[in-house]
Amino acid sequence: MSRTPAFPPAFQTAPPKASPRASLSLAVVAVPALLAVTAMLPACSADESARHDFTKQQITMFREQVLPILEDNCLKCHSGEHPKGELNMTTREGFLKGGESGPAVDLENHEDSYVINAVRYEGLDMPPSGPLSPQNVKIIESWVQQGLPWPADLHEIEFEAEAGPPQVTAENRQFWSFQPVRDVAVPDVENAGHNAIDAFIRHRLSDRGLTVSPPAAPEELVRRMHYDLLGLPPSPEFVAAWSKKIDAGGTLDQQAVAALTDELLASPHYGEQWGRHWLDLVRYAETNSYERDGAKPHVWRYRDYVIDAFNSDKPYSQFIIEQLAGDELDEVTADSMVATGFYRLGRWDDEPADPALAFYDDIDDIVTTTSQTFLGLTVNCARCHDHKIDPIPQRDYYRMVAFFRNVRRYGVRGHDSVLDASVAEIDRPADAKVYEAAMTRYNNDTRDAKDRMAKIEKLVWDDLQEVEKEDFQYDMNKLPILQKRVGTLLNDRQFNNFRNQFNRLKQLQSKKPTGLASALCVKEDIRGNKPTHILTRGNPHAAAEEVTPGFPAILSPPKPVIPQPADGAKTSGRRRVLAEWIASGDNPLTARVMVNRIWQFHFGRGIVRTSSDFGFQGTKPTHPKLLDWLAAEFVKSGWSVKAMHRLIMSSAAYQMSSRPSEQAWAVDPTNNLFWRFDMRRLSAEEVRDTILWVNNTLNSEKMYGPSIYTDIPDAVKAGQSRPGSGWGRSSPEDETRRSIYIHVKRSLLDPLIESFDFADTDQTCPVRFVTTQPTQALSMMNSEFILQQAEKFAAYVATEQTDGAAQVQFALARAMQRQPTNTEIQRGLDLIASLKENDGMNHQDALKYLCLVALNLNELMYLD
Amino acid sequence: MTTPRNFCGRTRREMLWQAGAGFTGLGLTALLDQDGFLNGQTVAADGQTEWSNPLAPKQPHFPAKAKNIIFFYCYGGPSHIDTFDYKPDMYGMDGKTVEVKTFGRGGHKNVGRIVEPRWKFNQYGECGKWVSDLFPNLATCVDDIAFLHSMTADSPIHGSAMLMMNSGRVLSGHPCLGSWVNYGLGSVNQDLPGFVVMLDPRGGPISGSKNWSSGYMPATYQATVMRSKGDPILDLSPPAALAGGGQRRLLDTLRDYNRDHQQLRSDNSNLAARIASYELAYRMQSEAPEAVDISQETQATQDLYGLNDPKCSSVGRQCLLARRLVERGVRMVQIYSGGAHNDDNWDAHGDLENNHNLHAGETDKPLAGLLKDLKQRNMLDDTLIVWGGEFGRQPTAEYAKGSGRDHNSYGFTMWMAGGGIKGGTSVGTTDELGSRAVDDTFHVKHLHATILHQMGMDPNKLSYFFGGLDNRLVGVEGASPIWSVIS
Repeated sequence: MSRTPAFPPAFQTAPPKASPRASLSLAVVAVPALLAVTAMLPACSADESARHDFTKQQITMFREQVLPILEDNCLKCHSGEHPKGELNMTTREGFLKGGESGPAVDLENHEDSYVINAVRYEGLDMPPSGPLSPQNVKIIESWVQQGLPWPADLHEIEFEAEAGPPQVTAENRQFWSFQPVRDVAVPDVENAGHNAIDAFIRHRLSDRGLTVSPPAAPEELVRRMHYDLLGLPPSPEFVAAWSKKIDAGGTLDQQAVAALTDELLASPHYGEQWGRHWLDLVRYAETNSYERDGAKPHVWRYRDYVIDAFNSDKPYSQFIIEQLAGDELDEVTADSMVATGFYRLGRWDDEPADPALAFYDDIDDIVTTTSQTFLGLTVNCARCHDHKIDPIPQRDYYRMVAFFRNVRRYGVRGHDSVLDASVAEIDRPADAKVYEAAMTRYNNDTRDAKDRMAKIEKLVWDDLQEVEKEDFQYDMNKLPILQKRVGTLLNDRQFNNFRNQFNRLKQLQSKKPTGLASALCVKEDIRGNKPTHILTRGNPHAAAEEVTPGFPAILSPPKPVIPQPADGAKTSGRRRVLAEWIASGDNPLTARVMVNRIWQFHFGRGIVRTSSDFGFQGTKPTHPKLLDWLAAEFVKSGWSVKAMHRLIMSSAAYQMSSRPSEQAWAVDPTNNLFWRFDMRRLSAEEVRDTILWVNNTLNSEKMYGPSIYTDIPDAVKAGQSRPGSGWGRSSPEDETRRSIYIHVKRSLLDPLIESFDFADTDQTCPVRFVTTQPTQALSMMNSEFILQQAEKFAAYVATEQTDGAAQVQFALARAMQRQPTNTEIQRGLDLIASLKENDGMNHQDALKYLCLVALNLNELMYLD
Repeated sequence: MTTPRNFCGRTRREMLWQAGAGFTGLGLTALLDQDGFLNGQTVAADGQTEWSNPLAPKQPHFPAKAKNIIFFYCYGGPSHIDTFDYKPDMYGMDGKTVEVKTFGRGGHKNVGRIVEPRWKFNQYGECGKWVSDLFPNLATCVDDIAFLHSMTADSPIHGSAMLMMNSGRVLSGHPCLGSWVNYGLGSVNQDLPGFVVMLDPRGGPISGSKNWSSGYMPATYQATVMRSKGDPILDLSPPAALAGGGQRRLLDTLRDYNRDHQQLRSDNSNLAARIASYELAYRMQSEAPEAVDISQETQATQDLYGLNDPKCSSVGRQCLLARRLVERGVRMVQIYSGGAHNDDNWDAHGDLENNHNLHAGETDKPLAGLLKDLKQRNMLDDTLIVWGGEFGRQPTAEYAKGSGRDHNSYGFTMWMAGGGIKGGTSVGTTDELGSRAVDDTFHVKHLHATILHQMGMDPNKLSYFFGGLDNRLVGVEGASPIWSVIS
């Protein structure tokens, strides 16, 4: 943002482009008075400013009342070198001279001043965002009537005008993140630590006279690593066993760290933890929001694809290409089709008021998610106008839109339209005969149920009002509409019959034979060669210049080569071009952005803290050289995410203690320099999974497949227009599966998961909030869920230990994953004794509440 | 003379906090505090643990006219021409075919059959306002009410239109009005939620919690659903076994463990905050039931709200609770009149008369009672009442038969009262059929701008950074308050 310099008066009042003014003056010949004023303006202006001697009160009024109005409402446009309408309102002369419409103020006939006309909204409505308050209008009127009082010593109001949007210039191209990843040398430092990461970090610390924190205690480090990679607590025994592998200094041996890292990375639960990070970024949810908030068919396959991608260490470049263009590859696989579910995870308004706008809203969702997630660029800010902060012109936004222009909307309306636009078969049945037999049975059964229902529907159809006939097409309305006719047109038996068949049909449909596996995926419509236009102010009904696909110019990209689709091709091939450019090692952003995310999920914050914004308004990297070094390593490793985990976790930086240091805190309270490891609270999923793990009920064995339903209290479902609609009941062994498998319904989230800051489901979420609220405490103390878990915990403890002290010890160790001290055990025993004595509880009940306390410990919730 | 302008009207650190930049511990708290961002350091209920609270009260941009909002939301869309927007020329026109452009769930139409307003209108108050027989009690309050007859919205479809009325956007995922108010002003009572929603006993509105979500803001700012019967807040009651003081002992034990844990990690304010949050929750357990205990109210007060009339006792109870909550500092209370689907709310597609007789009958007396009660307690001056739905209804019939009206977002009526609103006024007009706004047209964003302005906030300055953009409730282009209804 640049400051408008105070130009010398001569320059300021030099007549700008005389011709438009002249012609405008001629156009108003019907008002000779105005013409006359315009003509005599130069002389008058000079005289007025020299002659006027304003009172102190008038000057105060200007400074305290008029000036704030001008600053807040006028000067943004009417200042600087090229003020709007050529009216400069930063000087008194500016008002008198006026702009395209003539002088802004008429000192002879105040009422004729167009400033007054404008603020009264009597034609020239200003400011454009809406009228000033009546008080402020009066102030302006009075100011004009008093002859425009202006301090003698104020030639010009200094106004820091918003500079125009930054341009794509050679200078702006020099911005660090727009430049290719640099080849950086690892700095030489004394006490170099474990690897290059430590050299970079210690180099910067020593510049500031700081040293690194000591290594974390072995128990803390084992717990940190376990949660970090798996999102689950280690057992106290696991911690104890690994913590024995120490070196002479008492810290965890580096070979042990490497072995532990490998062991954890080999666990299938690794993909569940790191896959969930990715799901946050791609706004993963399993329903569409809006009135029906309907479920997305087969969406869970995308979730499973992501879990597998992390577990199999799929190269990140391939991961990108499959999600953006898995249907346009030379070899399309079931996996790569499922990956394109990426396009289908967003919201879907199935009855938009403005369908054209909805189409572009959906494309915008894709542009936003793609540019922020893969590139760390907020290209979406250039939808209505050039990006205000980054050198991304509006044109570049629409050039990116052009890559997605042929993507079909998620659906038109109704389930069948979704199947048509967004679902494809991806696999052949294993045994065609078995499948066919099952399908025949299925078809017969469903037809039978429908026929029986139709007979009963017929009895009431003529009685239905028009509105009811319309409603009847939705399943959810059928029973209530028929029920109204029980006792008149229907008897109880008929109604019950209908209900039974209705439920039978639902049951059948939920278990439709899955011979052909289907996937939610992208589809294009390339008929008609649809052009892409820049849309003025983002308005789909105001198409301007046509554009072709292109990459953001500020990145100095190659010109995309758009293939000509072959005859009969289903897609345009454009998305593959975009995907391959993003996934290229030459792209300045892709590797930096991803390696920064990996760092963020290990350390709690990225080297660039704004991990989805590497533009001008993002934060600068705290360690730019380290970031570039890691990005280069990432590409060299073949885009291996697991290689990055090994690299990062083997650093001394990762293994540092989280304890405070007064000296370092005084210099660097936000730990910009990584002088220690930051503590973190468990994520929402980790909280729930940990509770279930601690009481030994977590079903972590079962992975993948359709999502599960937790037991959401009726009081929460009461907020729905049809309480319980779209939320089922899972079997007890499904209900205790890991949280990543809980159905993500946009309008109804599990209250515990939501309360611990689950990711925003509607938009890409690079960093989760960590809030602390009394409602969390209420649910962790009083909810039916937590009380049940405490009870199960106590039952588990009682089966493992019989002695009171041993029980307390066992319970606390489970919760904290370390052996409790004697004081801690005694404190638990005291509580149990007190609950027995004062509240008349039996031992098992008292133990349950001790277990409840254990589940609420800060030590359980926070990692060192 | 210079004009200091920090980036988009907020400090860089605040922006980073909003961007969720991963600051931890006291570090960020300290920095934000230097900026005056967390200017309310609260000491937690145990009197010892320091705690800084994102809902701590904050200074408004300028002196506020209103401190609290009660938004009475008529879900489904009440018909303006049958309630407050008097169209005398329509009487005697029933069944006549007219050319009129409409757009509702039935799509775009150019011709329709007039459904004459089904209720008579009479003039009331010093202002002589015409009100239909649907609201005989509320009609006696018109001198305190400002009617906005020329409201418009972007969508005539419930799902998106409700999101617009609540969050200013037709797209799902944006914070609602109550979240903005709590974000901007904080809450003066830490023992109660800052933003409360009460639902119709027949069910929630469509899209459920999306209507009171904090969108991309932290969950701290979303609404708490409060029930007028049973446990007012989810998970409020401790288990019965702990009722005799056991819970206190349990919390003390928990605090002792957590204090020990904190000792070696003394700089981490999140740990302290979490300790404090249990004490706040404990206080809430006693405060919230007290707040909803209407047996403390006199019989006369209860009768004023219509609690003695089975038809309207449920809404009456909610209105009375709303008064008790704002009295205790809850910033915003939103009451949903109507729930679930079809005629369980104001969505009169079938039989207009049955539908509106039902819902107006349930709400007329409680609303009048609320206005009168607030006035007699001198609370109306700083409590802003807002009434209306996501849109109005068409002048013509939706189907070949019957009196049902389809949705209408081209023109509809809302009203406001109290909180510095000029009573006895009516602004804006619709055409002679009420089919669309024609003069002084206002949009939902102007209503939102007016509400924020009355609460002491500049609607064009209250912004929240997300996704690379400065987001505002009133949208990027800004909006002015409706000055003509502000006293």
